[in-house]
Amino acid sequence: MKFKKMGLLTDPGAGRGKLTQVLVCHHSKLCALSYIGGVIWFTLLARDAFNAGTYFSENALLPGLVKEEFDESAIAKTYLSEINDEADRYPDAVPYPWLIAKLKQLNLDTYTHNFTLHYPLGPGRKFTGKNVYGILRAPRGASTEALVLTVPYRPPNSIHPTTAPSLALALSLAKFFRKQKYWAKDIIFLVTEHEQLGVQAWLEAYHGVSCGRDGVLDAGSLSGRGGSIQAAINLEIHSDQVASIDVKIEGLNGQLPNLDLVNLVHRMCLKEGIRHTFKDRDDPRDSETYEGWMHAFHTLMLMVFTQASGVPNGNHGLFHRVVERVFRSLNNLLERFHQSFFFYLLPATDRYISIGMYMPPLGMIGGGLLIKAFVLWLKMQEDKESSPYSEKSRRDGGEVEEKRENGDSDKEAKIAEDKEENKEKGNNDEELRDEECSKLPNPASFKEQGVQSIRNGLAWACAVFLSAHVIGLALLSSTKGITVIGYEYLGLPTEFSLFIGFVIASLLLIVLFPVVCSSASEKPSPCKSQSNGTEWAPFLNIAALLELATVLLAISMHNFSLGLVYAVVFTPSALWIAPTKSRFGIEAVTIEGFAPKVKSKTSPAGFYQLGKLRKGIQRILWLPLQPIILLVIVSLIYTAVMFPEEFAHFDQSFLTRAFSAASNALTFSVVDSYAYGSWFKAVSQSRAKPGALGGKETTSFQPHIAFLSG
Amino acid sequence: MFLSIKIRIKSFAIMGTLLLTLHAVAGIARYWLINSEYQQTIAGRVEVSTPLNSWKRVTEGVYLYQEGIDPYSGDMFHETPVGLYVFDWLIRNCSQWLGIIFVASDLLTAHLLYMTAKYFMVELVETENRERNSYAKDVGNILLKEKDLREAPLHVAAAYLLNPYALLSCAALTTTVFSNLCLASALLAMVSGRHILSGVFLAVATYQSLYPAVLIVPSCMYAARSFGPSKTITGKFKVFTTVGVFLISLAFILCASAKISSGWHFLNSVYGCILTVPDLRPNVGLFWYFFTEMFEHFRSLFLAAFQLNALALYVGPLSMRLRSAPFLLAEALVALAAVFRSYPSLGDIALPLALLPMWRHLFAYMQQGFIVGCFLLITSVLGPTVWHLWIYSRSANANFYFGVTLFFATAQIFLITDLLFAHIKREFSLRNGLKQEIDGKAAKLVLE
Repeated sequence: MKFKKMGLLTDPGAGRGKLTQVLVCHHSKLCALSYIGGVIWFTLLARDAFNAGTYFSENALLPGLVKEEFDESAIAKTYLSEINDEADRYPDAVPYPWLIAKLKQLNLDTYTHNFTLHYPLGPGRKFTGKNVYGILRAPRGASTEALVLTVPYRPPNSIHPTTAPSLALALSLAKFFRKQKYWAKDIIFLVTEHEQLGVQAWLEAYHGVSCGRDGVLDAGSLSGRGGSIQAAINLEIHSDQVASIDVKIEGLNGQLPNLDLVNLVHRMCLKEGIRHTFKDRDDPRDSETYEGWMHAFHTLMLMVFTQASGVPNGNHGLFHRVVERVFRSLNNLLERFHQSFFFYLLPATDRYISIGMYMPPLGMIGGGLLIKAFVLWLKMQEDKESSPYSEKSRRDGGEVEEKRENGDSDKEAKIAEDKEENKEKGNNDEELRDEECSKLPNPASFKEQGVQSIRNGLAWACAVFLSAHVIGLALLSSTKGITVIGYEYLGLPTEFSLFIGFVIASLLLIVLFPVVCSSASEKPSPCKSQSNGTEWAPFLNIAALLELATVLLAISMHNFSLGLVYAVVFTPSALWIAPTKSRFGIEAVTIEGFAPKVKSKTSPAGFYQLGKLRKGIQRILWLPLQPIILLVIVSLIYTAVMFPEEFAHFDQSFLTRAFSAASNALTFSVVDSYAYGSWFKAVSQSRAKPGALGGKETTSFQPHIAFLSG
Repeated sequence: MFLSIKIRIKSFAIMGTLLLTLHAVAGIARYWLINSEYQQTIAGRVEVSTPLNSWKRVTEGVYLYQEGIDPYSGDMFHETPVGLYVFDWLIRNCSQWLGIIFVASDLLTAHLLYMTAKYFMVELVETENRERNSYAKDVGNILLKEKDLREAPLHVAAAYLLNPYALLSCAALTTTVFSNLCLASALLAMVSGRHILSGVFLAVATYQSLYPAVLIVPSCMYAARSFGPSKTITGKFKVFTTVGVFLISLAFILCASAKISSGWHFLNSVYGCILTVPDLRPNVGLFWYFFTEMFEHFRSLFLAAFQLNALALYVGPLSMRLRSAPFLLAEALVALAAVFRSYPSLGDIALPLALLPMWRHLFAYMQQGFIVGCFLLITSVLGPTVWHLWIYSRSANANFYFGVTLFFATAQIFLITDLLFAHIKREFSLRNGLKQEIDGKAAKLVLE
């Protein structure tokens, strides 16, 4: 230890360090800069200079060494016509007898699998389904490992495009694979009913686990199993004329497949000379140009939004002979894909952005939150330190209160105080006036006015924080109750009652919470209006900022895209709206909160706004971020984009459609979370069914339950 | 320190109520968690349950013991034989009261810490009064404040009772609850000047988890302090008795253990496991990753290095520097052992964290409180997140988890160094006055 003229900020004895001073003075600029910088950086990631070319990290795939021998194209055509005949006979169901007969004919171990979905909302509705699968036992292995080829079967009456060609292809592949001697892994051909639900049920039954809530999806049991699943590929071909292959990768909760698998498919297509795309978009022709960057960035954003929704985009791929190559490469695998090649974004088919490249921009976007929290903390310390020098506070007969939010002492809000003690403190204060001492902070000389109010204030801070989370949790678990009430007493359909219930709850909270809080926090402090709430406002503010930052980080680890969307939407408001002692010299009472917190799905931002009227503007700014309102807004925009003609003459039908989209979104997200255990139920999930296309589009934004589903 | 009796009574009444409320809240929270559906999840977390303290292993060992199979013959059970005997008795006779026993032990620990803090406050005041003459003139406002002294014990109790780490540790029914109890008893005996008792409790704590052995140094320092005229002789004698009692008690317990487990092979299972780290299940510590990655023939070298780091490395220098503050030394050693031990759990970390508010008068000198707080918060959330990604989603890997635990350990080390440096800065200011100048310009203290 030694003396220095200029030092690091390690000694409080000499006031603030330079860095700290810079931080405090310029924190708003810094936060804004880091936010904008982060966003710009992220947009730049689509440029080749900022991302990397894909490569194979798993050499055992030996992707170049496979020579395809597939010669069953003719039989595929036969299968297709047979399937079409069968489909005419069973317009609503899977042609099980035919399918099972075909698989058995190929000498595969053929089994069926029944599953049941107990609809979680509303009383006692049940849906059943049946999967068929055949296992090709590995001639050169001990059935300890398996590859899966799945085909979702869609009866003609389904709203989705048919997958009959892919079933034909799968069967012809099975026929071809059967004759080969080199398989070291079991190959399971799985035909599922009810799209993702069927796959989910089959996987749950295969592994003997349950991901969703108990008793919702009854996965049943399997009578035959292969080895542990190494890789799976889902095949969807809508016609027998294949023009291009689109690789779809986003899974449940934004999980991604190993990049090697994706690369493998692209590489194989390249070798075959088949047009292969990602997000239905070709690679930019010249990536160095502005157009090239725009193109790549557009692709990137499409991926971000799909991943952020956390809803798997089911139609996985469109393959032809490539499938054989892929399976033979996979057959070479020595071990499961294990390298951490699961964290990536793709701006093109042959470029990728790894976790090391995309985390820094997110860090910059969210970093402002930490800076802000730190500055607020410093200011709070400073306020305490400076207070003994204010004549007024001394004469007010205030008592001593030192609040340390250090570590766990946070919770010791309710510290006993006695008034007489202050007489003694008076002497200390005299000492403090001493110029010699004025440079040093004095831990015990922190003064304030009206201990009573502080104590209540801190209690309130904790109460607000806790109750916001408790209300959020309660709402989260209330979905069933709401629908039952709606159904039994009002005769409303599920979606409607759920939506209305949430809207009412949110409105109540928005209106009631601030009123209750402000009235309650005003009452017990007759001492001084100034001390009312002001002391604990920063504390709550800091807690909320830190919570947002932490949650952001945790989410972005799970699902980067969701974290990114979340950060971009909420950071600016969090940064802008957090006033402590505002510039106008008004004591600030407004605490901002973060609506979609860890558990508080519907804890509206309004919760925290114990503001007075003058904070109205800020409150209005927060309102759109309140989940249910955000949901409506997103639905409106989405509907406007999907149905521009209706948007043109903005009338009732447009609003109805948007409204039903919003309520459907809510319902589906709830049901999804019950059935799949998706760790976030997307609130603002908007879904529309463009009848002509019959496709399903889903966009969702906010996380409800943060993490740890497993 | 002026305080009228009236105030004393009044404040005591308020504090008593608060303390009771805290105990009640903490007790209810713990009891609820133990009986809730989350208990299994918490008990299964690697951060909370390690091979050394997990209740599952205890029940396994007890079952084997009851069946007449030596639990130490396998590598499943690492509790001490006395622990085995006690848990066997508990499981036989009061298995329905187990939750209550764990909660009561934890509450008792909190109370012992509270008492410890009270004694320590008295000691602080006495030290200050004794040394007041040697302080510089202008230090009036950095002297101890009555308020700090009055509130610190309560804060210590609250910091243990409401500590999420302690809460989880108790909810998972880890045997760390009892280790902490022993450690707290040893600290209380030490700080209250009962040197014989401190020797005994220290022996028990050491017997349980080995690492508290280093606390014999601060214990001896306390024993050597005597304020009477026959300073040196009494001091030496007391040091001698403390060490003697410690060794004798330890020997006695070990012999009793040998009797219980009929042989000395338990030593290998209990202390061998602590020292040689055979079980490399991930935990919040630093051992598992290194020893998984390392070439096998370097193992003994690194074991020695790591264990020296955890046990002995800091004792010498810190003892010399903190001669005048033995309890701070004890805190530093406990905290360091919690970071560097081979199988740390959150329960181990809770104790030194809970002791922190005793040094409230140093908080103004601490610079990294906020940063450390953020670190602890973020790593506590991120740890389970990346664990999930690693184990369940299989997308992340061990490096992610180790990275997070590394940050967690770093944060704790920051906290310790910050506290120690704050102490040194305050001492310096007390001796040399507040105003420091070099060449007529204000200077500041910098750690280099």
